[in-house]
Amino acid sequence: MTRPVYILGGYQTDFARNWTKEGKHIAAMIREAVAGGLAATGVEPAEIEVGHVGNFAAELYAMQGHLGAFLVDVDPAFAGLPTGRHEAACASGSIALLAASAEIEAGRYDCALVVGVEQMKTVSPARGGDFLGTAAWYEREAKGVEFPFPKLFGRLGDEYDRRYKLDDKHLARISAINYENARKNPKAQTRTWYMNEDHARACDSYNAVIGGRIKVTDCSQVTDGAVAVILASEAFAKKWAARRNAQLANVPRIKGWGHRTAPLLFDDKVAESRDQPYVLPHTRRAITDAYRRAGLADCWALDGIETHDCFTTSEYMAIDHFGLTRPGESWKAVEEGVIALDGKLPINPSGGLIGCGHPVGATGVRQLLDAYLQTTGQAGAYQVAGARTFATLNIGGSGTTSCVFIVGV
Amino acid sequence: MGGARTTGFMARQIRKVVVLGANGAMGAGSGEVFAAAGIETTFLARTRDKALEGQKRAEKLAKSSAISRFIRVGSYEEDLARAVADADLVFEAVSEDLALKRVYLEKIDKLRQPDAIVATVSSGLSIAAMAAVGGASFSRHFLGIHFFNPPNVIVGCELIPHAGTDPLVVGDVTELLRERLGRELVRTSDTPAFCGNRVGFKVLNECAQLVERHGAAYIDALLGPHTGRAMAPLATIDFVGWDVHQAIVDNVYAHTRDEAHEAFALPALMKEKIAAGCLGDKTPDKGGFFKKGEKPNAELPEVARRMKALHHVGRYREAFDVFADAGGADADLMRRVILGYVSYGLARVGEVVESVADVDRIMGFGFNWAPPGALVDLIGARRTVALVEAARLPVPRALVEAAERNQRLFDAAHVDIGRFFHG
Repeated sequence: MTRPVYILGGYQTDFARNWTKEGKHIAAMIREAVAGGLAATGVEPAEIEVGHVGNFAAELYAMQGHLGAFLVDVDPAFAGLPTGRHEAACASGSIALLAASAEIEAGRYDCALVVGVEQMKTVSPARGGDFLGTAAWYEREAKGVEFPFPKLFGRLGDEYDRRYKLDDKHLARISAINYENARKNPKAQTRTWYMNEDHARACDSYNAVIGGRIKVTDCSQVTDGAVAVILASEAFAKKWAARRNAQLANVPRIKGWGHRTAPLLFDDKVAESRDQPYVLPHTRRAITDAYRRAGLADCWALDGIETHDCFTTSEYMAIDHFGLTRPGESWKAVEEGVIALDGKLPINPSGGLIGCGHPVGATGVRQLLDAYLQTTGQAGAYQVAGARTFATLNIGGSGTTSCVFIVGV
Repeated sequence: MGGARTTGFMARQIRKVVVLGANGAMGAGSGEVFAAAGIETTFLARTRDKALEGQKRAEKLAKSSAISRFIRVGSYEEDLARAVADADLVFEAVSEDLALKRVYLEKIDKLRQPDAIVATVSSGLSIAAMAAVGGASFSRHFLGIHFFNPPNVIVGCELIPHAGTDPLVVGDVTELLRERLGRELVRTSDTPAFCGNRVGFKVLNECAQLVERHGAAYIDALLGPHTGRAMAPLATIDFVGWDVHQAIVDNVYAHTRDEAHEAFALPALMKEKIAAGCLGDKTPDKGGFFKKGEKPNAELPEVARRMKALHHVGRYREAFDVFADAGGADADLMRRVILGYVSYGLARVGEVVESVADVDRIMGFGFNWAPPGALVDLIGARRTVALVEAARLPVPRALVEAAERNQRLFDAAHVDIGRFFHG
């Protein structure tokens, strides 16, 4: 990348909160995340030059659009701040990050605030499931379907099964690892929930089938959450590091990124990749683009990954697509403990979308914040020892929009 | 069994737990927490069927039948001797009745391994009085563990050693609760109602006392969730049960004499209604302050309405500017109760707990109330001192120090303060 983009830090709200029960408007979520981000980084409100908000569907969940404008309400110093809102389903947060980092690379601004936010507990699970259907081709894949997304990602598993064979016990293990990691994360939604591999393997009234091969424990959560991060140019980061008596070399940068879009319909995706080794080749390309831009040979240059496990099948897909195994052999990395917190290449030390939670539009920003925490040694009990380079993969729709960041010092 | 502890340097491995009274809410809930950590837990009750009810309850809390892999069930008659003899930790959760507890503790002492730990889940009875039922060894291995209901959701927990509890036992149980059970643990002195219930029920009972003059609907409207709690105070008493409320405040009233002594006197209105069998939500036909499920229809006082509107959009600090600055009788009463909570809570530092962080943790994670320290931070320490003085309440030492140093009190960085304030 021509001009480096630094990550100064940020703030994640507690994903266990139910903001509707608290009687809160989405404005409160944005406000808490931004205030927390400013406090955590020591960046003055007046130093923020631009704001980007990632959000999927506040119009549906909270009857509220125009979220960028809520940033201006947070601090008097934000008066007149240029802002905007970005949407690409569950990848909305990463799209906001891409926009903000592009502006810094272009030299337009030196300091950008990025917020990802989603308030989802405003409606019943069934109605929320219908809203999420708009991340697919609603009329053709979701209209009139109860919980369309578990069914779509169940079919991703079926496609693996058809091409390579898939044993559901590996999906259960993926789920158990995410919950186990989440227990170490004080901001994770499921940190106090009972969960283990026995339970993930069980299929009864407590772990019912939601669609196809997807059971409750294979699903990410319905989550309320907001996350803020602050990105900066080299000039700003240098000045910022100096006043905090820190070395610029220890401030993580976005070293590479990838961004690809596959056909919206799941059938079209599968048809397109029929004779290819990767089930979602555009996701694979987003990953290899990011490796190339960051100058990484392969996944083994990474110390950890925060990936998009909206369902266990999407993490199963990510494992071979990141290159931990040959295509179709993700189960080996699961079985050999490679992806465990103390494994060779830990995946989702935070607990991921299954354990930490999945406030749709906030997830990409949460992943980048976790990559920042990991590469600065601030991840506490879920820290990957000595991590210097982390990757994120954030996916919108049924593998439609794929965004990858490589973060490192 | 139980031979793992050989030296003072190695923590005892707690592998087997027995829960007595495992059919009750606290017994089953506590049993769930042990079993969820993968500890073999035996649920005991008067009958095996009752113990099975407890097991079903635990499954329901865990939302999993897989948890039962770690649960055994039995009755006192058939299984007490064998189970207690095999246990590393015996957890007594029978009814909150000292005489009854003594009966079971005596039995446990005769059956347990010499180094087995015995804990009671009492929510406020004297731990030392219970420790005295056995010999020196029993006393050394005995302490209180106070979970809050439901323990699988509420992670706040009090650990109450008595003067004779072996420090190694305290260390082992601390490790168990904090590391393996993920508790936000606070160590308290063996004083009536310990910390959480002492501070919490002082406020609740004070609200109950105000009902006679102001009416229940008004009190809950004035001191509702916008003042930093998930549930309004009188609705909380109905939810907890009037009998439980009475047991706690009567115990504190009889056995303490502090600056807020009269706040623990059960109001006559409650005494009369309890005698008539009115116990709150558990007697739905008679009700409590309100009928169960009924939303009291009181108009929000202006000061409450303004605070709520500010919380709604996340402007918590400004909401407490309103709290501090508003004039009128409503605001005066709100300040008296809420600052009374801050004053009384912080004054327990040095008496019941060691630090402000302890009071904050148990009120935040046990009661789900805004911790006193967090309220002081929002209002500002110096302004809080002035307001506490204006309300003619004692200014506790911890507050004076915070004001002198102009420092923040609430220290749990991973906690979103906003979650305590409802809009």
